[in-house]
Amino acid sequence: MGTPIAVFDRLSYMYPRSPEPVLRDISLEIREGEFLGLIGPTGAGKTTLCLTLNGIVPQFYGGRFFGRVTVAGLDTLAHPVSRLARHVGAVFQDPETQLITTSVENEIAFALENLCVPREEILKRIPRVLAAVRLEGTEQKHPHELSGGQKQRLAIAAALAMQPDLLVLDEPTSQLDPIGEQEVFAVVRELNEELGVTILMASHAAEQMAEYADRIALLSHGELITIGTPDEIYSQVELLHEHNLRPPQVATTFYMVKKAGIPVPNVPVRLEQALRALDSLRGECRIAPPQVFPEPLTRSGDPLLSVRNLRYAYPDGTEALRGVSLDIRAGEYVLIIGQNGAGKTTLVKHFLSLLKPTEGLVTVDGADTRELTVSELARRIGYVAQNPDTQIFNATVGDEVAFALVNLGYPREEVEARTAGSLDGLGLLEVRDAHPFSLPKGDRARVVIAAILAMDPEIIIFDEPTTGQDYRGAKYILDISKQLHRMGKTVIVITHHLYLMPEYAERVIVMGKGMILLDGPIREVYHQAELLRSTFLSPPQAVLLAQRLARREGRDFKLLTPREVADCFLPSKNDEIPNGRA
Amino acid sequence: MRFQTVERDSLFTRLDFRPKLLMIAVISTVAFVWESPIALAALALVLVIACLLAGVKAAYIKTVVRVMIPFYILLLITHGFWNTDQVKALTGKEVLTPLFTFPANWWLIGGGGMSVEGLLYGWAVIFKTLALMLVIPLGIFTTEVDNMIVGLVRAKVPYKLVFIFSSTLRFFPLLFEEIQTIIEAQRLRGLAVEKMGPVKRVRVYSKVAIPLILGAMVKSQQLEVVLQSKAFTGSSERTYLHESVLRRADWAVIALFVLLFVLAAVLYFRLGVGKFAWLIFD
Repeated sequence: MGTPIAVFDRLSYMYPRSPEPVLRDISLEIREGEFLGLIGPTGAGKTTLCLTLNGIVPQFYGGRFFGRVTVAGLDTLAHPVSRLARHVGAVFQDPETQLITTSVENEIAFALENLCVPREEILKRIPRVLAAVRLEGTEQKHPHELSGGQKQRLAIAAALAMQPDLLVLDEPTSQLDPIGEQEVFAVVRELNEELGVTILMASHAAEQMAEYADRIALLSHGELITIGTPDEIYSQVELLHEHNLRPPQVATTFYMVKKAGIPVPNVPVRLEQALRALDSLRGECRIAPPQVFPEPLTRSGDPLLSVRNLRYAYPDGTEALRGVSLDIRAGEYVLIIGQNGAGKTTLVKHFLSLLKPTEGLVTVDGADTRELTVSELARRIGYVAQNPDTQIFNATVGDEVAFALVNLGYPREEVEARTAGSLDGLGLLEVRDAHPFSLPKGDRARVVIAAILAMDPEIIIFDEPTTGQDYRGAKYILDISKQLHRMGKTVIVITHHLYLMPEYAERVIVMGKGMILLDGPIREVYHQAELLRSTFLSPPQAVLLAQRLARREGRDFKLLTPREVADCFLPSKNDEIPNGRA
Repeated sequence: MRFQTVERDSLFTRLDFRPKLLMIAVISTVAFVWESPIALAALALVLVIACLLAGVKAAYIKTVVRVMIPFYILLLITHGFWNTDQVKALTGKEVLTPLFTFPANWWLIGGGGMSVEGLLYGWAVIFKTLALMLVIPLGIFTTEVDNMIVGLVRAKVPYKLVFIFSSTLRFFPLLFEEIQTIIEAQRLRGLAVEKMGPVKRVRVYSKVAIPLILGAMVKSQQLEVVLQSKAFTGSSERTYLHESVLRRADWAVIALFVLLFVLAAVLYFRLGVGKFAWLIFD
């Protein structure tokens, strides 16, 4: 690791009109050829820090800037953004807004054209960078035709074409499905290891960051809390929790084992380390017999939602669902997983009558959805879509929550009462008169949920509620779903974040290519590692640890969480078996 | 969703954008000046055929015509009944040929009537608008956006304007998707659009504007950051991946349209070809 490519020297920054600094006294060096990971909760200042490197902060945003940032020896205050762009390639979060031209080759050429690179040289660089991100042969395609992961790889190729000294990626995988995430991480690692590209990457994907980064910098409230190797940072589980960050599951597991008084010399942060550590642990402790979990509740009675041989083809002929059949009974908590394009959203849109079956039958409480209007079904099924901002149309939080009630023709007193109840339930009474868009994003999501709950639907569907949220934000929404479930509601959640769900879901439906691949209790489904991998989903690390343990012990360990795995290890001197285990 | 382009490879798609720009300019000018229903009908017919040959979908042309029908009916009525002074001047007639007349004792419209000349003038305006509307898809749908950009730049249009034009084309489909999502979210909150009258529907749809505008503001700031990080300054001093070279066919088309323009001008001013009275009231 050589000379520094970028140097932050006592950097502090305040956006115009913001009462306090978003970055405070940051000193940091990015070394040539390294992969530096940047972690921190939402609002920590990660994006702002990334934008100081090409001078967009403060040259575009204004505000007050203290200290100094240099990139390739250039002071970012003294050189225009267009000059700094030669040295710093940037890749952002949203695949849609960062692709601005109408073909793949133009996307790559755009920055080069701006830099007056001769046409012949542009023609030489296009195939080279496309090969680097494995997108050969797509030159003439429209960016719209690419998948999410391909779009982000194209954005990386476009940045790479400028031959920058440093590639900055700001949460490039947060909007992607698991395949897309894998593709992007694989490409970034190749660029770093094989081509020696220096990387700065902000991400919430703890497992991958532990795997790929050389160093990790932890940012919180604008301050650089600590910096070190992934082993140094991710093994400090308490520190991460303190800053609302999620450690890799293997680190959490072994941290808990250590807390139980079993000697763990180093808390592992990567899966292969953890598997080795698990093997060597067996000499240090006793293994508790597999915990017996209560059989999942079987619900009887007529299904609330029923789907029979459902086929759906979009007007352009694409088959989105090919023969799906399933029943969901009142009071279930169902998780639907699968890659983008597997048919998850298409399926739930049939419950809402937003789509009508091409073939087959969908019924809600026995009634054919083809005969019901969207607004009739809306009373019974609440749908919380991913982006809260496209679901807010009113000028105050109170009006937003009352919106559906007025539409559904409730008398005024009832609108009042239900609105107040729903606002109270989500802790929004105090901001009742505020404009929804004046609230932070997490609170806007709560406004949307309150507005849906005001209708008192029997079934609530959350479509990717955790995408683009940090750990705390995701947990907050899922905790609401749990509360609703306890109140007897039927809950359906679509998410890519499998590790979040063991505490919540009872039943899991795995979808792939428009079909149901697997449908069963969460403990069964999460342990079908091979099937999940065949559709590019990976089980949480805790499940993989449990499977290793099962192989070693020759018994079944149907465990799902770091807590459950950690509880299997008992200190060897202690003969007493804690309560609750048979 | 994508901006509409034709899929068929033809002379139209192979041409550079500059001859097409000239074609649009010449045809628009001629259509604008001509007042003869016969000449304009012929022009509109030629354009329909050219569009179909170029691969513009018949469904698209049908939609254009269908959307315009109420407007066309209005044109025929207003010109047929009330356009008397202008057609008198154009035909040199003192008295117009009545098609029918309302009985004098009818309230308000009694004694009024529709004239053949007025009605013909109405048809001329219809063909004029049709020609103006068909020349656009013929020129634009047959051109890849990249070629349009380079063509416009070579035609000395400032790059900043060209960029605004091309990014509008890029972001329009995204905007439509967003509108769809918002309307969907409203329906899911019990809004029964299907049961509403037009006035209420418009009022409800206006609510789409709030998230749409705020979303667009956020997006445009993101876009600005993206552009800056790609060294975009709006300066015309840049290179282009796509070359815009005028080939023999392009020059031939340019020559053809210059010639057609001169010919149309000579015929119009010398022989009255394309004037309202041409071939009808001579």
